[in-house]
Amino acid sequence: MRVKAALLLTLLLGATIAEAQLPGLRRRGPAPQQPVLSTIDAQRAEFAAQSGGTTVYFGSDSAILGAPAKATLGAQAAWLRRHPEVVVRIEGYGDGLDTRDHALAVGARRAEEVRSYLVLLGVPGAQVSTTSWGKERPGLGRAVTILVR
Amino acid sequence: MKKVFASLLLFGTGSAATAQQPAATVLAIPPLSSPDSGDKGNQMLAIGWNVTQAIEADLRQTAEVLPLKPNRDDYYPYPEVTGPNFTKWRQARAKSLVTGFVQGRSDGRVTVGCYVYDVDKGRELARKGFIIGANDWRRAAHKCSGLAYTAITGAPGIFDTRIAYVAETGVGEARTRRIAVMDSDGQDHRYLTSGDSMVLTPRLAPKGDSLAYVSFAGGGRPSVRVLNLDSGQERPLVPGDAISFAPRFSPDGSRILFSMMLGANSDIYVVPATGGAPRRLTTSPGIDTDPSFSPDGSKIVFESDRGGSQQLYVMNADGTGQRRITFAGGWYAGPSWSPDGQWIAFTRRGQDGRRIGIVGADGGGEKALTSGPGDEGPTWAASSREILFQRSLGTGRTTLYRVALDGSDPRELATPQGGSDPDWSGVAE
Repeated sequence: MRVKAALLLTLLLGATIAEAQLPGLRRRGPAPQQPVLSTIDAQRAEFAAQSGGTTVYFGSDSAILGAPAKATLGAQAAWLRRHPEVVVRIEGYGDGLDTRDHALAVGARRAEEVRSYLVLLGVPGAQVSTTSWGKERPGLGRAVTILVR
Repeated sequence: MKKVFASLLLFGTGSAATAQQPAATVLAIPPLSSPDSGDKGNQMLAIGWNVTQAIEADLRQTAEVLPLKPNRDDYYPYPEVTGPNFTKWRQARAKSLVTGFVQGRSDGRVTVGCYVYDVDKGRELARKGFIIGANDWRRAAHKCSGLAYTAITGAPGIFDTRIAYVAETGVGEARTRRIAVMDSDGQDHRYLTSGDSMVLTPRLAPKGDSLAYVSFAGGGRPSVRVLNLDSGQERPLVPGDAISFAPRFSPDGSRILFSMMLGANSDIYVVPATGGAPRRLTTSPGIDTDPSFSPDGSKIVFESDRGGSQQLYVMNADGTGQRRITFAGGWYAGPSWSPDGQWIAFTRRGQDGRRIGIVGADGGGEKALTSGPGDEGPTWAASSREILFQRSLGTGRTTLYRVALDGSDPRELATPQGGSDPDWSGVAE
């Protein structure tokens, strides 16, 4: 076992050195992995692609998470656990027909429900912050968006 | 005071709006006179004409008083200020009359005298004099309008008051919002914030020296800030980064009520207006918000969805004795207690939209005042006879409207741009 492990280590080291010493040569075998994307836009794109969306929806005047919302948040939590360096902001929205301050509170409550669920699934609390737009941004009523910051 | 029905104002909107006949007292306001002669007399008469027109504009804004258009031909000599020609004004169908004078003083300022008469009875109702700077005639006009309004209706005047609101330009994502303040006649309009951050719900302190509002400037989380209007300095209402909103001053200006999120729970807190530790007044797991003090400061009305839907509740100022006062169905929100203590104005949500209504402070005698469907955010005039609110039009534009308790139609209050979240101050000292 020990010999095998040492051998494997040598091979890996050798491969690494060889690759470093031969820039510009056409590689054989499978394509290397993409480098870690680090721009915000790229992270946002990957987050959205791998978690099935950045927006979850609620019922009227409700902050209860339904099955589709939980599925999306489950995928988001898995991604966030793999990317502890990424922080996200959870932005809650109220219903456009609601009154201003109640809508603000409903949006905050929805955002907080989403945050609690992500934390329940193992995402560190420091990784997720919340806010509410109430009914002040049109078009996204009864929803929460999770934004990579 | 006897009133005549003003047929001009008679076009009701809905069942509730026509339940009570609107009535307005016709008032004559001939141009103010002057005891001065020569060039000085002409200067004083020019000021008097300005004051006359401003009084007419003030009173035309009310539902209860209908001023006749001032006419320069109706000029009267100084002795007639206190001995008016009642026969003439009876023939003009006026029920009330305002006379007055402007007199120069040796210190450069002017005295404005103002008299209010009952034309039918040929009797003086009120008189008052004001010493002002010659350029400050608008203030004298507001005082005179208030004197006439109070003499006719018995309620405090609303003319020397300020309105704070959110000035809105653009629609949708391109909308910018700034806190603005103006005199209730639209004069002295000023912007207090730059438009870089979203702002909501400005609330004036009773003395008008500071203003609490909600800003999204702090990292996009809404929180209450207090702006000193004299120094321009601003501070957060409470430390920390909790979401806070729905501020309102106590009638004596010493305390500020507001809502704060603790996790998913919104409760009502009170904090000294000068800063300090907030005290929590509600503990229900529901959304408690939009608190408003009774005029004596002993009670607080607020909205809560603790029972499953938004309803109005009243509690003592220390948070004890919480009880629900609305049971008529639908959702009730954004309560505001009238300055005379009798009524609570609210926004009622139903299947057909949002409309403004009032209910007695004990929960009885509910009345709808507007037909919606996009009305919200009632705030009281100092007279307790009118309410200012915001109306969202189908175009995406929101503007300010005022409506009287007498059931007459709401009228738009002109602002330079669109407006929302109005707050109407009491009468300045």
